[in-house]
Amino acid sequence: MATNIELAHASASATLAPRRSFAEVAARFVRTKPLGAAGAVIILGMLFLAVFAQILAPYDPYVGDYGLQFARPSAEHWFGTDEFGRDVLSRIMYGARIALFVGFFASFIGCTIGALLGVVSAYWGGRVDLLLERLMDILLAFPQLILALAIASILGPAVQNVVIAISIPVIPRVARVVRAAALSVKENVYVEAVQALGASRRRVILQHIIPNVTAPYIIMLTAQLGAAILAEAALSYLGLGAAEPTPSWGLMLSGSAPSYAEKAPWIALFPGIAISLGVFGFNLFGDSLRDALDPKLRKG
Amino acid sequence: MATGVRRHQTFVFAVALTAVVGCLAVLAAAQSAETPRRGGVLLAAIGADAPSLDPHQEQTFATLQPVSPLYSTLLQIDPYSYPSIIGDVASEWKISPDGLLYTFKIRPGIRFHDSSPLTSADVKASYDKILFPPEGVRSIRKHHYSAVESVEAPDPSTVLFKLKFPSASLLTNLASPWNVIFPKKYLDKDPNHFKSNVMGSGPFRFKSYTRGSSFEGERNPDYFVKDRPHLNGYKYFISTETSVRAAAVRSGRAYVEFRDLPMAEVEAIRKQLGDKVMVQQTPFVIHFDIAINNTAKPFSDIRVRKALNLGIDRYTAGRVLYPLTGLRDVGAFTRPGTEWAMAPAELEKFAGFGRDAEKNRAEARRLLAEAGYPNGFKVVLKNRNIKLPYQDWAVYVIQEWRKIGVEAEHRPLETAAWYADGRDQGSFEVVVFPTGHFVDDPDALLAPFITGSSQNWGRFSNPGIDDLYDRQARTLDPVERRKLVIDLQKIVLEQAYHIPGLWWSRNVVHWAKMKNWVAPPSHFTNQKLQDVWLSED
Repeated sequence: MATNIELAHASASATLAPRRSFAEVAARFVRTKPLGAAGAVIILGMLFLAVFAQILAPYDPYVGDYGLQFARPSAEHWFGTDEFGRDVLSRIMYGARIALFVGFFASFIGCTIGALLGVVSAYWGGRVDLLLERLMDILLAFPQLILALAIASILGPAVQNVVIAISIPVIPRVARVVRAAALSVKENVYVEAVQALGASRRRVILQHIIPNVTAPYIIMLTAQLGAAILAEAALSYLGLGAAEPTPSWGLMLSGSAPSYAEKAPWIALFPGIAISLGVFGFNLFGDSLRDALDPKLRKG
Repeated sequence: MATGVRRHQTFVFAVALTAVVGCLAVLAAAQSAETPRRGGVLLAAIGADAPSLDPHQEQTFATLQPVSPLYSTLLQIDPYSYPSIIGDVASEWKISPDGLLYTFKIRPGIRFHDSSPLTSADVKASYDKILFPPEGVRSIRKHHYSAVESVEAPDPSTVLFKLKFPSASLLTNLASPWNVIFPKKYLDKDPNHFKSNVMGSGPFRFKSYTRGSSFEGERNPDYFVKDRPHLNGYKYFISTETSVRAAAVRSGRAYVEFRDLPMAEVEAIRKQLGDKVMVQQTPFVIHFDIAINNTAKPFSDIRVRKALNLGIDRYTAGRVLYPLTGLRDVGAFTRPGTEWAMAPAELEKFAGFGRDAEKNRAEARRLLAEAGYPNGFKVVLKNRNIKLPYQDWAVYVIQEWRKIGVEAEHRPLETAAWYADGRDQGSFEVVVFPTGHFVDDPDALLAPFITGSSQNWGRFSNPGIDDLYDRQARTLDPVERRKLVIDLQKIVLEQAYHIPGLWWSRNVVHWAKMKNWVAPPSHFTNQKLQDVWLSED
């Protein structure tokens, strides 16, 4: 009897182990994943620029000073000016908005639809699974950027169309990963138990499967963010993304930069650095988050 | 001493021989430089893909430049003496003393590329299609021929143009490079046949066309001009990216970009290739404007249209955009400096042409407030997806309009979609709109302002304008005609139906090995390439 009571206490103490605060989790993340933390700093920096661009940007990114076309980087214009005399630094700050808007929304929409399809496919199985998986096979047959290019060229150049074009190729990739995770969760005893208790499919999916596939979902979401920013830059570079005079990093590289790169290299250099840094930050953070959340890669 | 004399004679002989050999070498070199070389394929870069292949129904260089070498026209602009008129399929012509009958003689022995003979019936069928287009066939330039009552072909070698009234512009407009001669037998079956097919009698035959990529022609061995063409063929590479076309010229993948390249690219090419390239700079009979959809709100309100005109500082635009795009000269609808142009002092009286930009903007804001838009409004500016100069012009306009509170969303469209929305359906609020012609002719340059013209993208109608257009077309006295031409432009400016922009200038950079081609002030004419030759491959 005494033994049973001790066991019960032990079990209780295990389940009631104190939860770590966000600060503790963050500190542990910084300690164990310094590169991931560096990525997070870059992302937060981008976010800060995007949110406060209106306050931080020294000039209107849309209106140029016609007396200062192709001005070299200087105290007045840290990153120089472009062919219309527009401040390159201000345009990069505002460009962070487009990059993050497209990155977040395209990844979120693509990953969420993909995750839902993956769960439905895994849980329903049978014909539904067969049909959805073949659909995913078709989408996966196209390289990600080529599919985005095709969709963007059909929809026409606009920021909202870029979001749609980038999110669609994300769907099958996330659906495959989440389906695999959901298939594993579906076989757990507790799922069989709630099914046996008469829980509806909706309840099983929403309360028991989806919460258990959030880790791969979050990993895919962060992994796709960097790719989405790069895809936005690529589509804008090819004239299928945002249109001039929108301050988009990819567009800044494509517009006049190739023609004036010799005369005014700063027009191409700084947007190029911004794209590289943004994608680098998201990739660092995404990799570390995957390591932290994936039990197979977790130490101890 | 004798040895000394002999040495002296030998020296003189050697110098004389060297001089003679040198002279012969120079002469030979000069001869070889002047004697056209047969062979080679001319490689060219072009900035857009053709919406269709029928020049009668299109108004873009993207159609005309690639197909021009495949066709003949009745008359043509002399490639070496712009804007003089010479015959093409017409060997001679005469105009009756009352100016109401034009008689053309067709050269014998001209054959289409399918070997069928070209006769006056083909000329008549082609002009009937342009002048009196059947249902479902667009004719962009039919208003240029309002004087023509009928075209007749009394025998296989004679074409008659019977006029309703004498016309000052008709002969010039019969030299239009757009009015290519199609074989009648195909038009009889389907007047739209040549939107997607090619069959001409020009110096080159059609070889291949890959949409969005390339267009090729090969030498026509049966061309009716003896010993022409010199080239074995030509090939256009299509790219809407200015930097790609400039890089193609720079690398030798293309020998020429016939339309225009920005000064920065031209300078970079010249710096790198030195005397391997040549640059021809000319004015351009084309101006870049903004068409306003006069049927849509709020643009049906003259105050809003005037505000949009007042909001653009054209004089600064010319200074800013010239090095980027070649857009330079401020003017109305006839080219500045020509006999048809309005004097600058007169022009400055109209909305948007005053020299004080701040005063103009203040007036624009006042008019917008009066029209019920004290905080401005949002508008979609549609455009063609070609950077030079379409998008640069649009960026400038958008920047300028922001200063009066008008926020324009820029929407570049692929060429066919831009024509469909702007010209065909009127599905736009404001759209970038270029007007150009192959010569400075009022009939052509003012046609976009008359009721029902397919060039009137703004879809406005003013009986006063129609009357002035009609009268100027009938007036043979240049002084009287000029007055009517100016009066017509004044109405368009007063009513602000349209937003005039800047007149373009042309920089054609080509490899020096491309010989015998002179750039006229239009990228529509001198594109047949029949006299062009390559000094080396």
